[in-house]
Amino acid sequence: MIVMKNVSKSFTHASQEMFHALHNITLLIEDGQCVVLSGISGSGKSTLLSIVGAIMRPTSGSVEIDGNNIVSFSDYHLSHYRNKTIGYVTQSFHLFESLSVRDNLLAPLVINDLSSSKIENMIESALKQANILHKANKKVFTLSGGEKQRCLIARALVNDPSIILCDEPTASLDKKNSLEFIEIIRTLHKLGKTIIIATHDPLFEELDCVDRFYKMNEGTIE
Amino acid sequence: MPNKNFIHFLLLLLVTYRNKHISIFIISTVVVALLASLFFISTSIKKEIDLTLDAQADFVVQRYEAGKALSTPESWIDEFTQINGVENVSARVYGVHFFEPAEEYFLIVGIDFFDEHTTQALQKLINSIDVDKFLSKKNMIIGEGVKELLDYYHYFDYYIFRPPDRGKEKVYIYDVLPKETQIISNDIIFMDIDEARKVLGVEDGYVTDIVLNIANPLEVQTIKRKLIISHFNMRIIEKSAMKRYYANLFNYKGGIFLIFYIVILMTFFLILYQRYSMISHVDAKEIAILRLVGWRINEVIWLKVGENFLVALFAYLLGVILAYVFVFYLNAPLLRDIFLGSQNLAHSAGFIANINMEVLGLIFLLFVIPFIVAILVPVWRVAMKEPVEVMR
Ligand SMILES: Nc1ncnc2c1ncn2[C@@H]1O[C@H](COP(=O)(O)OP(=O)(O)OP(=O)(O)O)[C@@H](O)[C@H]1O
Ligand SMILES: [Mg+2]
Repeated sequence: MIVMKNVSKSFTHASQEMFHALHNITLLIEDGQCVVLSGISGSGKSTLLSIVGAIMRPTSGSVEIDGNNIVSFSDYHLSHYRNKTIGYVTQSFHLFESLSVRDNLLAPLVINDLSSSKIENMIESALKQANILHKANKKVFTLSGGEKQRCLIARALVNDPSIILCDEPTASLDKKNSLEFIEIIRTLHKLGKTIIIATHDPLFEELDCVDRFYKMNEGTIE
Repeated sequence: MPNKNFIHFLLLLLVTYRNKHISIFIISTVVVALLASLFFISTSIKKEIDLTLDAQADFVVQRYEAGKALSTPESWIDEFTQINGVENVSARVYGVHFFEPAEEYFLIVGIDFFDEHTTQALQKLINSIDVDKFLSKKNMIIGEGVKELLDYYHYFDYYIFRPPDRGKEKVYIYDVLPKETQIISNDIIFMDIDEARKVLGVEDGYVTDIVLNIANPLEVQTIKRKLIISHFNMRIIEKSAMKRYYANLFNYKGGIFLIFYIVILMTFFLILYQRYSMISHVDAKEIAILRLVGWRINEVIWLKVGENFLVALFAYLLGVILAYVFVFYLNAPLLRDIFLGSQNLAHSAGFIANINMEVLGLIFLLFVIPFIVAILVPVWRVAMKEPVEVMR
């Protein structure tokens, strides 16, 4: 369960004035829920995801994941949390472009003590789930946008995390690829993953697998 | 501690993104090669000087009048032998011969084959030849450098010297000194002492100088005093004085090169630091990905340090090999002249390959550790940032 209480995030702009990207957000997401955060550009969707994904700390408030307030975690534990609990599908393709799809999936695994065969199995199953197994040995830079997206999803899944975060997953995809992405989400939802999607794609508005649909506006949830 | 998979991943990244490292690898290799060359040359010379000095007699005695060295009377030998504590007294006849065609000087050394010799090297040489055969006609043994020059001017079997008495001395080449004869320089010619007298124009009954050893080091000063009293027109050169002279000369040059090393290293680390403070886009992107997927700061640092350690290690190994070839096979063109002064025949014998593990270790420390430190700081700074900041 994810419990956000009074989470605020402010940035100091170059002009020295404070900018509040998130304003006292309180949000509860049950395990296995699929949640969509929509809202116009600049409303704070990515900021919220970054905080849940533990790549950014809030200015104030608490974020409890399964009863632990990750805001109080040291970087050491936060990294561990990112590695084990979070699968992050970032907006831009944060991938090793010159490595193969398969080798990209090594990154979250090699810091753990795993046998080579175990790693092989984990990669294989993640590639299957993300429907990119057929391109496993292709270098990332040779892939299409949709394929890169699926590579990113495969990497997010490889450690079998309980929470999947997707930031604008369909922004650079065509209709066909977007629908394919939704198919993957549907499967993950069935597997009981907690999923948070930040998007302004109307495609997500009428989805059957979405449990909650939040609209964000100027750093608050309406 | 990184596990096997971690190391596999590290190597994967290193090989895949090798272009990123290539420029720093080349610069590093050159720096190491330079450093190692300087060290190889200086240790090699130092060793050579030590060997040369060890082979020297304790005292060299010359007749010296009006500030000029003159031929020394042979009769002094017997006198010196009488003094208690003096041993291995022997006469030397030597001098330079100007080889006009090439404008080079040869060092002619006359040896008395039946004397006891002060230096082991000379003794070894004499033991190695058939003395009767050698003395059966006018023969000489020449250094490699002399051989090359004589060959060049087509004196394959003999050479005709022109002594000061305007005669002609045809001396046959008996043998060439092996290159490894460390103490014996390249420009040397050995011949029988009487023959050397003729060639150099030293009168009978006279020698160039007299060398002797002193059995007990504590008696050196007493014996020196005795010698000085015995003849007013005498100069004594002590081995310890020569040692000091060489040590000074060497330290002076060594000092210059120390500055040289420091300048090279400083420049290098400046380049290195520059490169990493503007940590490349590729590096920052890599770190962003790794942090995103849950790498800890120390794991990121392990990876980057590991990568750069391997780059440094290979640069080090290649640099050392290049330096070895440069110094000991090619005889360090350019650098040799700085070290040994202008080129002359005596020094063209080449450096004796002698690798000192301490020196290699020192180069390793001087190079690899600062290399790692120089990349550590900027990598650490990036890794410390909040992941989202690096990702942007
Ligand atoms: N590091 C930062 N420094 C300053 N301002 C920031 C920073 N990160 C985000 N912001 C600001 O916070 C606000 C919210 O940003 P955020 O990225 O969360 O919006 P978003 O809803 O994801 O928008 P989009 O749909 O364009 O991705 C924006 O106005 C942005 O300019
Ligand atoms: Mg965004």
